[in-house]
Amino acid sequence: MKILIIEDEPSLRELIERAVSNEGYRVETATDFISAETKLAGYSYDCILLDIMLPGGSGLKLLEGLRAKGRRENVIIISARDSVDDRVSGLELGADDYLPKPFHISELIARIRSVLRRGRTGGDLTIDIGNISLDPTSRRVTIDGKGVDMLKKEFDILLYFMQRPEHLVDKAVLAEAVWGDYADESDNFHFVYAQIKNLRRKLEDAGANVEIRSIYGFGYKFTSKES
Amino acid sequence: MRLSQRILLALATTLLPIMALWAMLFYYAMVREINDEADDSLEQYATLIITRCREGRPLPQLNSGSNNSYTIEPISDAEAKPYLRATFHDETFYIPEKRETEPARVMTKAFLNSDNRYLLLKVATPTFEKEDLRETILWWTVILFAVLVVVVIIVATLSIRRTLRPLYALFRWLDGYTPGQKHSNIPNNTDIKELRRLNEAAQSAVERSEELLDRQKQFIGNASHELQTPLAVISNRVEHLINNTKPTAEQLDELVKIDRSLRHSIRLNRTLLQLTRIDSGEVAESTDVDIVELLTEALDNCRDIYGTKGITCTITLPDNLYIYVDEALARMLVMNLTKNAFVHSAPHSHIDISIMGKQLRIANDGNEALDRSRVFDRFYTKSIREGSTGLGLAIVKSICDHYGYDIEYRYVDNRHTFMVTFK
Repeated sequence: MKILIIEDEPSLRELIERAVSNEGYRVETATDFISAETKLAGYSYDCILLDIMLPGGSGLKLLEGLRAKGRRENVIIISARDSVDDRVSGLELGADDYLPKPFHISELIARIRSVLRRGRTGGDLTIDIGNISLDPTSRRVTIDGKGVDMLKKEFDILLYFMQRPEHLVDKAVLAEAVWGDYADESDNFHFVYAQIKNLRRKLEDAGANVEIRSIYGFGYKFTSKES
Repeated sequence: MRLSQRILLALATTLLPIMALWAMLFYYAMVREINDEADDSLEQYATLIITRCREGRPLPQLNSGSNNSYTIEPISDAEAKPYLRATFHDETFYIPEKRETEPARVMTKAFLNSDNRYLLLKVATPTFEKEDLRETILWWTVILFAVLVVVVIIVATLSIRRTLRPLYALFRWLDGYTPGQKHSNIPNNTDIKELRRLNEAAQSAVERSEELLDRQKQFIGNASHELQTPLAVISNRVEHLINNTKPTAEQLDELVKIDRSLRHSIRLNRTLLQLTRIDSGEVAESTDVDIVELLTEALDNCRDIYGTKGITCTITLPDNLYIYVDEALARMLVMNLTKNAFVHSAPHSHIDISIMGKQLRIANDGNEALDRSRVFDRFYTKSIREGSTGLGLAIVKSICDHYGYDIEYRYVDNRHTFMVTFK
């Protein structure tokens, strides 16, 4: 899997590069419009992370050129300009996803995985971790081939964990990801604990070989059960 | 004091002494003119008497129909001296025929008769009552003054009202003007130079403040935009440290705290950017959005999160309420109002949520009223709590302003009530 990062901000580029290669992907980078154009002309990639505002031109133009040549590479737009117009025109030009800055690298990695999986399986977004299989489109979860009923929030939490296996997840970050801005003024995390408790019980009852491990004072880690 | 009153007062205070002076002059002029006339006729009469007396002809009868009267008495040469020239004066005179005293004009003159002896002739003719004249003039002057005042009041009021119509139009415009909101130009269809100038000055002042406001908004937008990437970079580096460097428990604790503060800054920054976008009209296309559905979702989330507070709710909702609006903004509006009620409610207090017609009403118990004029201001918050951006209600207000919804805050019966009337 080869990934091209087109991003002019050095710090951000370095971070993305490090995280993406940690995931086991091969990474190349371009820092401006010209070098990106050259790279795209010479090589093909599995996924392109594309910043819109680049020195020398707009990332949207690169995307347009790519699609005009009939190339179907996966493109995720990463842009500081989270404006409605950019989002719409990016997706209209055939971008596979749009991630407004500032984002968390783990979020980006999850999006890359999802986009690549979709490309590989022809639209099937199902994520498999251990014996758990989760389909974000139909919102179905199966463990060991058997369907498990999940409430909305339980499903959202599981999806979040499934996109970040073996990652430390701060409970505050999890709360924000699942409950959005509702959670930011809460002075406790009881609501997270309650949902996690239910989810754990469901996973346990269905015989999942992956568990949500508590990291004291911090949050959770979605990890395979130690036998 | 109104302009018409001021003009009236100025006119009245100047007119009053002028008219008093005028009345006085008028009085003296009149008296003089009348005395002249009387003196002339007295002279003629005196000449007639003197001529007749010298010629030994009979003198005129006293009650000959005219009101004139005369006396003749001999005087010594010495006594005659001051009267050689005719003197005139006023005096009250007893007229025996009428048996009353009347004011009279009297001419006194000494003359030599045919015997070369001095006689003193006093001729009198009744004249007007000066008192009466003064009174009459005073009255008429007062009447004239009153009439003038009334006329001035009418003319001033009418003409000022008519002339100042453009001024009132300007007032109405200014009253309806809120900086940063859509507005028409100041109407300027008057040919009164000063008022044209005023309108132009007001228009350019409005334009200047609009420009300043725009620049300020842009600055906030730009500043938060520029902050985004560095904030994201720091946050990601912290995450890297957490996930990949096996920190000690103490380090992990510290890193998590850094990350949470950072997330707060990011959220604050993002909200500011959102505010700028809404204020500058950068809003996605509208679709039909069911407010009831959004509200139900918001309530579910709030009950999840603030469930431990034991807050009870009374909810009165119709089946649906479709509003043509950008869904993300509608969700933000409903979320912020609902969350606001839950966050600022004491444990075991009560929240009322209802939709009646197109009005959403959310009420929660409170201790004291918020400042109505500031409650929607950015960062207006009574209690600084961690995680709060202090921008929730400002966002709500911006969204309402953008779509022209009416939003109102009231404090009734110890309850904070927010009401949004959709369009």
